[in-house]
Amino acid sequence: MSANTVTAARIHQHGGPEVIALEQIALPDPGPGEARVRNTAIALNFYDIYERTGLYPIDLPATLGCESAGVVEAVGPQAGDIRVGDRVAVLSGPGNYAEAMIAPVASLVPLPDGIDEKTAAAAMTKAMTVEFLLERCFKVRRGQTILFHAAAGGVGLLACQWARALGVTTIGTVSTREKASLAAEAGCDLPVVTGEEDFVAVVERETKGKGVPVVYDSIGKDTFEGSLKCLARRGTMVSFGQSSGEPEPFRPRLLARHGSIYITRPGMGDYTTTRQELLSSAGRVFAMLESGKLSVTIGQSFALADIAEAHRALEGRATTGSTIILP
Amino acid sequence: MVKAVRIHEAGGPEKLVYEDVPVGDPEVGELRIRHSAIGLNFIDVYQRSGLYPLELPAVLGMEAAGVVEAVGPGVSGFAEGDRIAYPMQGGAYAQARVIPAARVVKLPDSVDDRTAAAMMLKGMTVEYLLCRTFPVQKGQTILFHAAAGGVGLIACQWARAIGATTIGTVSTDEKAALAKTHGLDHAIVTSREDIVARVKEITGGKGVPVVYDSVGKDTLEASLSCLAPRGMMVSFGQSSGAITSFNPGLLAKGGSLYYTRPSLGNYIATPEDLALSGSRLMEMVGSGRVKITVNQTYALADTAQAHADLEARRTTGSTVLLP
Repeated sequence: MSANTVTAARIHQHGGPEVIALEQIALPDPGPGEARVRNTAIALNFYDIYERTGLYPIDLPATLGCESAGVVEAVGPQAGDIRVGDRVAVLSGPGNYAEAMIAPVASLVPLPDGIDEKTAAAAMTKAMTVEFLLERCFKVRRGQTILFHAAAGGVGLLACQWARALGVTTIGTVSTREKASLAAEAGCDLPVVTGEEDFVAVVERETKGKGVPVVYDSIGKDTFEGSLKCLARRGTMVSFGQSSGEPEPFRPRLLARHGSIYITRPGMGDYTTTRQELLSSAGRVFAMLESGKLSVTIGQSFALADIAEAHRALEGRATTGSTIILP
Repeated sequence: MVKAVRIHEAGGPEKLVYEDVPVGDPEVGELRIRHSAIGLNFIDVYQRSGLYPLELPAVLGMEAAGVVEAVGPGVSGFAEGDRIAYPMQGGAYAQARVIPAARVVKLPDSVDDRTAAAMMLKGMTVEYLLCRTFPVQKGQTILFHAAAGGVGLIACQWARAIGATTIGTVSTDEKAALAKTHGLDHAIVTSREDIVARVKEITGGKGVPVVYDSVGKDTLEASLSCLAPRGMMVSFGQSSGAITSFNPGLLAKGGSLYYTRPSLGNYIATPEDLALSGSRLMEMVGSGRVKITVNQTYALADTAQAHADLEARRTTGSTVLLP
């Protein structure tokens, strides 16, 4: 077999974890603006499951994956600042569920010496999401109190740490008491177990009726209205996900009635549109990781051959923290 | 007793009654104001017609200027004889009234009473839109719909004072010319030009960081299409009808956009915010960078005629009532 033949986890049709098959695929040489990266750690994200099931469209057959880390082993023309031998995070897919992949150099971020590839694979996309949410989409300030839904999720645990580092008080919703403890350990000041307490009432009590300047909501439909009620006058609703379904269309007058509030529906792509923005966001994450203010917990790792089992564990909510796949 | 214009039931201009009403002494935290000029606004017409229902009988009018005539207990910072003005306080169609001291701002010598009465609502609206809802920066290019309207003409001047470039929509060439004399840089005449295509052309395909839209449902789609990624849609009115349903997914599709539906009340709710808005407005008008055009005056007794003329679009610029 040629050195360009690699093992990859692919799907030929959408469906359950059983549709993922390990296959040998031949990689072409990197074209203009591309590099071949030997993956040493691969991220497991919910996004991968949505691509597997067909919720997010993808051309078939496809090698799954949206994030990984590894070493650049070849570059095509116009590779910019990327060199052979660079340790990099690969911040886009598909194709990451493989021993090696062809990736656009625009999606590669060189890793500093202090950041290992497993940490990068486990943290980069989630931490960069937290960076743009807390630092740019709505810039939180020391002394503020914010509401962050799903505070024990992959993004949530990083957000709690990041907010604490900025001197911000976080009220976070979680689904169970176990998750409340996890969130608290990560720096969530007031975890709210949603089955036991009404988060709107908690926010009202904690802010003495004023409300919070910002709500970060990745739950969507189920929390949308409650989140608006939690906002202070001229506050901002950051709707960045929809784990319970898309938020319903609303009457704009609702925004006036809740105090001239703002709503935004951000995606990371729009916050990393230039190479400079991407590197700057990643740089903030590296600095937070290296200073110890941010740490990522790799709860489990799976061999690439066991990828179906990894999907089952994630879907069955049997994982904690981040999960990585080792090729 | 003082003369005031009241309605006892909603309806046409004929429901406006010029009559005597009692005016008391100011209580704790209040002032009694002798009005010298009263602003006329479309919101007054909506209140008269019943579109915005009021508890009746009611003295109409939302803004005025005048002189402090009596100061209630516990009021500091005001003295008899001070010149003041205020926005958003129903009951302005009267020779005198009592009002909370926290809701008025002092007038500098550089701003006369008629100008003040005509500018409080519209000028403070422009202040919060351009300075706070989305703080416009020098060098930015913005889109402002209805640029030749009362708020629009102030916005064009204010944006120019900031150093921003304004693209404005207008319905006719006459209005385009009027807006340009007030600082509008690029007019889009909506009867014959495509808003999105023109904005893309003017901005080199980039789009604008903010759209101020008081038109509502007719322009919503075009406005969102004019925004650059991470841009902000400011929906502050609905002259073409209210947007009844907004799909938040549009914000993702347009590139992580922001949407807000602000109202003046939420931007001047605290005494600090009212003072801030007032001082910025006085500075802009007092320095001559924003000119307020009062083209008509009516005696307070002739308010019904003023309403009829406003509704028939026979007025231009601002109108004030003189008690």
